[in-house]
Amino acid sequence: MQLRPKPGANIVRVQSALAAAAAGLLTSGHAKAQEPAADPPATTVDSAVLLYHEVNRVQAIEPVVNVSHKIDEDSTFYFGITADSLTGATPLGAVPSTLSQSYVRPYKVVPLGTAVTVTSASGGSTVVIVPPATGAKTQTLAATTIVPPNTYPLDYGFSDQRVAGHLGWEQALTQNLKLDGGIAYSKEHDYRSESAHIGLSQDFNGHNTTLSAAVNYESDLSFPIGGTPTPLTQMNGDRKGPDASLHEIDALVGVTQVMSRRWLSTLSYSYSSANGYQTDPYKIISVVDAVTGQPTEQLYESRPNQRRKQSVFFDNKVHLVSDVISASLRAYKDDWGIKSLTADLRYRWQIGPDYYLEPHLRYYTQGAADFFHYYLVSDQAIPQYASADTRLAKFHAQTCGAKFGMALNETSELNLRIEYYDQRGNSSPAGAIGQLQQQNLFPDLKAYTVLLGYTVAF
Amino acid sequence: MKHSSRLYLPKRRADLFQQLAALPKARLLGALICAIGAAGSGGCSTLGAKPWEHDLLAERAMQVGAYPIEAGMDDHIYFSKEASSGGRSFAGGGCGCN
Amino acid sequence: MASPCLVLVDTQDSQLGSEVGERVKAEALRIEAKFSRYRPSVITHINETAGQAVSVDEETADLIDYAMKCYALSDGHFDITSGALRRVWKFDGSESIPTECQVRDVLQYVGWQHVAWKRPVLRLKASMEIDLGGIGKEYAVDRALSLAESHTTVPVLVNFGGDLRVSGARHDGGPWYVAIENVDRAGTAAGLLELLSGALATSGDAHRFVRGSGARYGHVLNPKTGWPISDAPRSVTVHASTCTEAGLLAKLALLRGVGAEEFLKLEEVRSWCIR
Repeated sequence: MQLRPKPGANIVRVQSALAAAAAGLLTSGHAKAQEPAADPPATTVDSAVLLYHEVNRVQAIEPVVNVSHKIDEDSTFYFGITADSLTGATPLGAVPSTLSQSYVRPYKVVPLGTAVTVTSASGGSTVVIVPPATGAKTQTLAATTIVPPNTYPLDYGFSDQRVAGHLGWEQALTQNLKLDGGIAYSKEHDYRSESAHIGLSQDFNGHNTTLSAAVNYESDLSFPIGGTPTPLTQMNGDRKGPDASLHEIDALVGVTQVMSRRWLSTLSYSYSSANGYQTDPYKIISVVDAVTGQPTEQLYESRPNQRRKQSVFFDNKVHLVSDVISASLRAYKDDWGIKSLTADLRYRWQIGPDYYLEPHLRYYTQGAADFFHYYLVSDQAIPQYASADTRLAKFHAQTCGAKFGMALNETSELNLRIEYYDQRGNSSPAGAIGQLQQQNLFPDLKAYTVLLGYTVAF
Repeated sequence: MKHSSRLYLPKRRADLFQQLAALPKARLLGALICAIGAAGSGGCSTLGAKPWEHDLLAERAMQVGAYPIEAGMDDHIYFSKEASSGGRSFAGGGCGCN
Repeated sequence: MASPCLVLVDTQDSQLGSEVGERVKAEALRIEAKFSRYRPSVITHINETAGQAVSVDEETADLIDYAMKCYALSDGHFDITSGALRRVWKFDGSESIPTECQVRDVLQYVGWQHVAWKRPVLRLKASMEIDLGGIGKEYAVDRALSLAESHTTVPVLVNFGGDLRVSGARHDGGPWYVAIENVDRAGTAAGLLELLSGALATSGDAHRFVRGSGARYGHVLNPKTGWPISDAPRSVTVHASTCTEAGLLAKLALLRGVGAEEFLKLEEVRSWCIR
């Protein structure tokens, strides 16, 4: 069917009305014709500050700034810097007792002969001078902590500041092939880490499929105050062990597939091999009496020198009319005997073009490491590796929270995320001996985090 | 005009996917069927989106690395409180917190 | 725009040439990004939230007002909501034409009469979409040319994929030479025009069509029936004082099918049709 004037009908010319309409459109001047349009933003500054608060434990504050700058269509340069400050109390690994206990921890190394007043340090510790070895030029100050009866032993003098930075480069080699490489460095008073990574990603099927592979190498050095302790020896104030290093290689391969206009899916596999010092130099494990369950010795923990980890990660993002759902699953396993499963779900509720609210749920469950023990028993042989660090125990954890975001203008966004983390393990393991039956051997860990972020592009 | 909801019998198997794709509600289902079907059969013609259909995927919320600081903070927090690390990217390490 | 864009500046000053070029390029990119159907833009936002009321900015409101006037002047044959027909018509040179029922089903999402427009608030019916592709390119030419004219008095020609406009005669008083491309042999000229002022816009079906039941269907669809216009010229070029006006007249001519030349004669515009 086409338009055909009926015979005899008045034939109306549209040209002059059209000319007038076109003229009206073009002279309206609303398109800001006088200034040239801005180029798309080349630099993005992404910043945030994290406030972390564990109930009765560690508090931390961590600001971070990341900058990325597009030099041209194919190359991007990026760098970032972060600092964090942690204070508070952290578990020692020892078991609670119906009797009062005391622990000693090296706290500072000072030149020999420095006048030291024995005074009360932060949170219930006192400072003692550890008698120096003959000919030593320094002496170690140690803090002793008295733990009241039936209280989970925590180290109150915990305080750590860390500064870290990274920089990198992303280069498009062809329309479909991208190369990315970078280095990172982190330093705190008793630990240093350096790493480098390189990765490639290749697009297929008109950017519907992306295959990527990357490798990371990390070299760490641990230099705890007073030196690294000899594993599975009695806790004392002075340790004298050498600095200890750790090397780790990680490899990751993944595929990202556009399933449809609204659905993006990613599947990846990663493998890591870590060799070197992986023990926590500050953690101990109690040896308890076989009958009463009272601690008789406190030994420094010991972890294997080698750890091989694998994980599979599956992530999906689905765009509804204006909201977005993200759901992911991660399965992890390593040769320390730990297996874990993580499920993460977010729903981004887009409220108009400028605001969004994103509730978030995460569920995590892990099995214990082969060498994890709540405590050792005095009449049994001490194993080669043993740790009472509850982070290696069997537990499950839930996170729930929400993030509120606001677009301040087309190129900047402010967001605030508040979350609650709750970790629960078995506080009364079966077979607990003597007084340990009435103790809480895995106090719940509860933490609140507030993350305030600001991104701007120009 | 009444909306007809009958699915017309396709002449070829490829048509079935096109028909499913044309029904807006069934698009997601079509892609799912396609993904499962592709695993068994030789391939699939509707997996993916045409270049002009990459509009939603370009939004920040649909990017895999959309909020890197948030992801990095989470990785760091969970690395220091749990035994697992990594998976989505290189995570963990860099600090003495585990 | 999905087509090559160029600007010709009649001067020996290469610095001026690149300045004008940058301004024109920036305006083309701005309009493309703002009204793109393929990337997050004002148009994709409107189409994504079809069914809800959306408030649009001044420029978009002006274009919608203009599109509404064209709808009225063309008796409903020029309709920016007709993009939904693309869901069943894929003009890729293949054999696939939709069935009567498919076309009928998609027609319920087409029609400006279903749109509630009270400036600056637009509300489409759910699953409808708008597409400013029919006026966007010509509008961009006009906007880019006025930007160039505000920067310099030197003669300028702006050509975005065949829709072009000049600021005036060349500096020696002579015309700009514009070739009309042959529909079947791309790269060769079917005719040469001499342009002293105003704009030219060309519409046609040369590269996008489907074949079904032996017939060749051009890509210009009648939004009232959902089927292509039959017997439309392969190419229509119209001259008018602005590119926006020329573009609309060319499209209205195509929509007349066999009556294209008659329509253009009636409208008393300079035009060239190729069949």
